[in-house]
Amino acid sequence: MRLALLILEDERSVREALRRDLAVFAGHVRIEEAEDVPTALEVIAEIDAAGDRLALVMADHRLPGTSGVDFLIDLATDERTLATRKVLVTGQADQSDTIRAINEAELDRYVAKPWQPEALRDMVRDQLTEFVVVAGLDPLPHLAVLDAERALCVVHERGDL
Amino acid sequence: MTGPADRTGLERPRTGDRLAPLCILIVAPEPLAAAIAEEVARGVTDIAEVVCAADVAAACALVAAHPDRVVPLVLMTASPESTDTRIAVLDEQAVLRRASILLLTDRARHDDLSLAVDRDRLHAVITTPGSPGILAWHARAQTVRWLSVHRPADPRTRALVAADGRPVAQPESDLLRLLELDTQEVAIQLLAGVERVLGSRPRLLLPAGTRLIHEGVDVDAVLVVLRGRVALDHASAAGDLRLHHDSTGSVVGLLSLAQQQRAFFTARATTEVEVVHLSFEQLDRALAVDASLGAAMAAVSIRALAKRLRRADQLQVEKTQLNHVLERERRQLSEALHQLEQARLELVEQARYATLGELAAGIAHELNNPVAAMLRATTYVGEDLERVLASHPQGRLAGEIFAAERDRTPRSTREERAARRRLEAALGDTGLAQRLFDAGIEDPDRARVLAADPSSLDLVEAVAGIGSAVRNLEVASRRMCELVTSLRAYARPKGEPVAGIDVHAGLEDTLRLMAHRLHAVEVVRRYGDLPPIRCHPGELEQLWTNLLANALDALGDNRGGGGRIELITDTPDLRHVRVQIRDNGRGIDPHILPHVFEPRFTTKQGAVRYGLGLGLAIARRIVDAHGGTIDLRSEPGSTLVTLVLPVDGPPDDEDIET
Repeated sequence: MRLALLILEDERSVREALRRDLAVFAGHVRIEEAEDVPTALEVIAEIDAAGDRLALVMADHRLPGTSGVDFLIDLATDERTLATRKVLVTGQADQSDTIRAINEAELDRYVAKPWQPEALRDMVRDQLTEFVVVAGLDPLPHLAVLDAERALCVVHERGDL
Repeated sequence: MTGPADRTGLERPRTGDRLAPLCILIVAPEPLAAAIAEEVARGVTDIAEVVCAADVAAACALVAAHPDRVVPLVLMTASPESTDTRIAVLDEQAVLRRASILLLTDRARHDDLSLAVDRDRLHAVITTPGSPGILAWHARAQTVRWLSVHRPADPRTRALVAADGRPVAQPESDLLRLLELDTQEVAIQLLAGVERVLGSRPRLLLPAGTRLIHEGVDVDAVLVVLRGRVALDHASAAGDLRLHHDSTGSVVGLLSLAQQQRAFFTARATTEVEVVHLSFEQLDRALAVDASLGAAMAAVSIRALAKRLRRADQLQVEKTQLNHVLERERRQLSEALHQLEQARLELVEQARYATLGELAAGIAHELNNPVAAMLRATTYVGEDLERVLASHPQGRLAGEIFAAERDRTPRSTREERAARRRLEAALGDTGLAQRLFDAGIEDPDRARVLAADPSSLDLVEAVAGIGSAVRNLEVASRRMCELVTSLRAYARPKGEPVAGIDVHAGLEDTLRLMAHRLHAVEVVRRYGDLPPIRCHPGELEQLWTNLLANALDALGDNRGGGGRIELITDTPDLRHVRVQIRDNGRGIDPHILPHVFEPRFTTKQGAVRYGLGLGLAIARRIVDAHGGTIDLRSEPGSTLVTLVLPVDGPPDDEDIET
């Protein structure tokens, strides 16, 4: 079982930039990209079929024909993605959209474009760790991409792991 | 009161006959009727015959049986039946409808006369039994009065009525008799009476402009005006008001004197006047000595009062009319103010737009150089890298990878994922497959070779990274270049109309600038072949912006999906181009549709909010100024704006007002 990370972004250059900034995770985490919602749903089905877990979704706000917020709201009620951490990566979400994302999609983080690569990686690491903790997974196989101190703390506290 | 029968030819032989027999009708039960008839007959023997009917039905039958008779007068006694009802029955006969009605009653009160009074059908109420002779006198007077009104040309009327038109039967009372005289005559009679007591009074000759009484000063004398005209003025906050103009015959000062008050007016001679001055004491003495002067005094006063009262009534009517005029003007002013306010708002909006335009032009200008430098620098990086790699031991491979990644055509994420899956399947190591795939390696054989050579793999990853970075830089800086160009076109300063403008390019510029709002909307272009047109390009960009903003607003919450804007262009004829913008939004309420082009029309609370404010008003103004037309049709799910613009551009003599 691998942890998976989904980048939902319709602009190729932004996808590539995100992918490159997150390349350090690539060896341990399954990084998937989708340019629209239908593709994203295919990816989720694939991840699920492979027995992997979607740990983190990073969605753009502006997407063709829909908004990233609506997609995240749908995920919040999808059994396969209940624990999935949700991050909005956007340059122009207005206040009402953001409020909706927080209230209805239980948004975990909001990343403004342009982002700082180091901060982005820290955020991803935190969220992956949070996912592992909340989902009750054994952190040890994923330690390379987690906040090691916190992950080991969890291992220590939980005798069953 | 004339009924339709009066206008028919049937009646004419009767009433038209000047010598038709006059007949006074008594409606009363016997024997009362005979007694009344006998008494009435004494008064009118020389004028009319008297006939009796027991009740109104009989009276009608009698009249119907003798269509040649003319009935000037009906005397009816009160009966238990309602008098109004009985008069209504009589009035069914055209002949009786014109007759005067005298009601003889012994009752103390009547509550059955409201219609008769209201319709002016009751000419006298006479108490019975009354003094002997009253009835005869009354009947005669009424008949004579009736004749003089209804049959002035009848020889009998002429015999009864004096040449001056007044009935022969003069009023018996001094007052009523004097009231029938004209004002001057009454004044002369009054003066004659006064002179009988006081002796001859001197006539005073006064020139025009002389003030006869003074406003605010106690009046202690009257002036009998024998010749000339007098005006009554009153000083008010609004200046001197001419309230009244009296002519010969008035007694100036009488009303103030009567009330023992200060004069309300200044009376001023407007022509040369001839007056007689009578002090309060002189007047008092004359009236005390000759009591009959009282009636003349009263008649003069009543005449003066009546005249002023008529004038006051007339002023009241004039005042009401003036108020109507004022109210109308006030409404017009209010409307004008409203329109001015709209115009001001539109100007403010225009100014705001102009400011934004200047700002946009400034930004475009400032961005232009950096963006151009960036675009060039991107190319240089690529060229220089190729030169660097030429001297590298593995330069050929690296150069190939770099160029491939730089020039890679976009694929969908779905296709990329599929390609990566193939590589993963071939290599069996997903982590490695992802690295190689990200470096642009998809061929499994090549992938295996590189996987076995870590240093080459590092190099390949690096140049692939540079390749995609250069590509992304180039795409990004090109896009910025286009935006800057659009912005400059958009913010083009207004001047003379420019020929050779491509309408599609303008639409595309606007779409590009609004891309951030159009993201979730499907934009369908159905562009026809359009000739270049002459126009104010900046104004047209503003036009497209307003219309697209409206369409987007109409789509509103529909933006979640399915929102569509169609742009359709064609040429209805050789001299015009047509642009249609259709959205599949909620549509405009039919009630407000007729008002959408009015300035400041907006439905903030309703369905369509933002752009219909000044947007369409400005759009219309721009189209008008270009000599074009704009039309808007809307139903739920489809709003279509159609613009037709002349290829030759705005009429030369008409500049656009901004």
